[in-house]
Amino acid sequence: MAYIISDEAKDLLKDVKNFCDNEVLEQCKGFDRTGEYPADLFAQAGELGFTSLEIPEEFGGPGLSRVDTAALLEEMARADAGFATVISATGLGLKPVLIAGSDEQKQRAADFLMEGGLAAFCLTEPGAGSDAGSGKTYAVRDGDEYVINGRKCFITNGGHARFYCVTAMTDRNAGVKGMSMFFVEKDAPGLSFGDHEDKMGIRTSGTCDVVFEDCRIPVSAMIGEEGTGFETAMKTLDQARAWVGVLSVGIAQRAMDEAVAYGRERVQFGAPILKQQALRFKIADMQIKIETARQMCAYALNLMDAGEPFAKESAIAKVYGSDIANECAAEAVQIFGGYGYIRDYPVEKLIRDAKIFQIFEGTNEIQRVVISNHVIGRL
Amino acid sequence: MEIMVCIKQVPDDSVKIELDEGTGKPAAGRAEPIVNAFDTYALEMAARFLETGIAGEITTITIGDESSKGSIKNCLAVGASHGYVINDELFEGSDAQGTAYALRCAVRKIEQDTGRDFDIVFCGIETSDETSGQTGPMLAEMLGCSLVTNVVALEEKDGVLHVKQETEDGYNIVETAMPCVLTAARPNYDPRYPTIKSKMAARKMPIGELSAADIDASPDRIGAGASLVRTIELSAPPKRQAGIIIKEDDIEEAALKAFRMMTDANVL
Repeated sequence: MAYIISDEAKDLLKDVKNFCDNEVLEQCKGFDRTGEYPADLFAQAGELGFTSLEIPEEFGGPGLSRVDTAALLEEMARADAGFATVISATGLGLKPVLIAGSDEQKQRAADFLMEGGLAAFCLTEPGAGSDAGSGKTYAVRDGDEYVINGRKCFITNGGHARFYCVTAMTDRNAGVKGMSMFFVEKDAPGLSFGDHEDKMGIRTSGTCDVVFEDCRIPVSAMIGEEGTGFETAMKTLDQARAWVGVLSVGIAQRAMDEAVAYGRERVQFGAPILKQQALRFKIADMQIKIETARQMCAYALNLMDAGEPFAKESAIAKVYGSDIANECAAEAVQIFGGYGYIRDYPVEKLIRDAKIFQIFEGTNEIQRVVISNHVIGRL
Repeated sequence: MEIMVCIKQVPDDSVKIELDEGTGKPAAGRAEPIVNAFDTYALEMAARFLETGIAGEITTITIGDESSKGSIKNCLAVGASHGYVINDELFEGSDAQGTAYALRCAVRKIEQDTGRDFDIVFCGIETSDETSGQTGPMLAEMLGCSLVTNVVALEEKDGVLHVKQETEDGYNIVETAMPCVLTAARPNYDPRYPTIKSKMAARKMPIGELSAADIDASPDRIGAGASLVRTIELSAPPKRQAGIIIKEDDIEEAALKAFRMMTDANVL
């Protein structure tokens, strides 16, 4: 563990690792096969406080630094990336409230999570992925309520979350300035969910469409000012990207750990295969990438804690972390040889799990747009 | 209901520990210190017992150095309300009798200082490092109270403790008056995990430190000098020989071969 963390976090890390090794890793092997949602495991994770990690201390959270939290999340991702995605997506769903919400909304969201609830962030639509500003979901004011209509897709924790932070157009002629953010609780009338998506990886996380059909919510459920929804969403993603990097590092670390454990035992030509320099160098390259990615995450998160600009660094952490997670997972399979291609061994799953990290929370192409914009500026 | 749970910090027994040829002692360097598994069962059973609606608290105690405070904190995060470490070089090298004596002294002293009279003193049946299995029974003798070993469940009925005791053939349901000493075997559930919140709270809880003098332990009954049991030598168990794989074309042939081998070896 190369994050520099507090004594408190070191203590918590042991407990989290213990739970992840004994429960998450073992149980998720089976859930990855079946695609069944491990509801009991997430209920237990909620009770243990995993969903409360990102709540600020003033609203009842543990008051850990972001790097402290990263160390814990990495351990979860090392055990199962889908599991960590559910926990991290809950942090994502909380962020719009923390960025732009009222104290009352913050406390309400925090209370839901401290009861073990999950959260979700609803921005993407079937016709609005990378071009998030082109969303069609809209909200119309009707007395003391807003009425939302539209369809969000690929929503992590959809159907399982206690609340949803949802972007919707309140002025359909104003472009992204016409988008607002809403706090929608799971029992809102008119809220429903599509089928659980049968995904390639992170199969222990739930993903589905979130559908709004004359969904009524009180006017007080607007997060921030009318028309600031897109800005809040972009700020949310700026932060969230570093966390995607953190989870990616967990996958990469697992890939290397598995490759080392296997390569020490697997004998060919009369010696463990890790006696071969060709494979030793693969491990060295994995370690170089993992440690570099981890420190990039730590840097972005430290900037956030310090209140410094972090958007570029967060994007770098995401894009680099997810790229190297894919590289390390592929190399782990290579070191396992034919066995790596077999489902009974743990590494093919890592390739399937790692792929989505180059896609969600802004594709790695979009990240490169963000990074180049920061470097080059307006022309 | 006041319950005392006695724990011991031991090297993690999920890590394979080899005998260090140089020192003749187990090389436990790589193994993290953890709470002895049977002691965690005792604590979990005690916590579940109180959670059935019985008013009371759990106190936990260990004998060890500064590092064993970590184990006490882990106990405070999963049900214990008070924690103590008996930390004194004078206890080094104590055998089970010296350990039981130290615990007896501490139990009496804590009762006197805090006004909490312990109804149950809970130990694990044995520790995973030395596995003597004697401390609990000796403690019962020294406290002058009843003892039930191999406990897997307990409930209270009209002031009497009903204890489920695991035997080789099944279970005994035993009634005992309190105060009593119980030693815990493995129940049919695992101890709870600490929550983030309970662990953070446990880190801030005070842990009492007691020396031999604090608990009025007589120096001539503790430590290596007072030990009646001495360890002469430790040796690693002999390595198991590789098994024989019988791989015949059909099942009957394989069975016949197995029987022939067993007859040849005079085991049949």
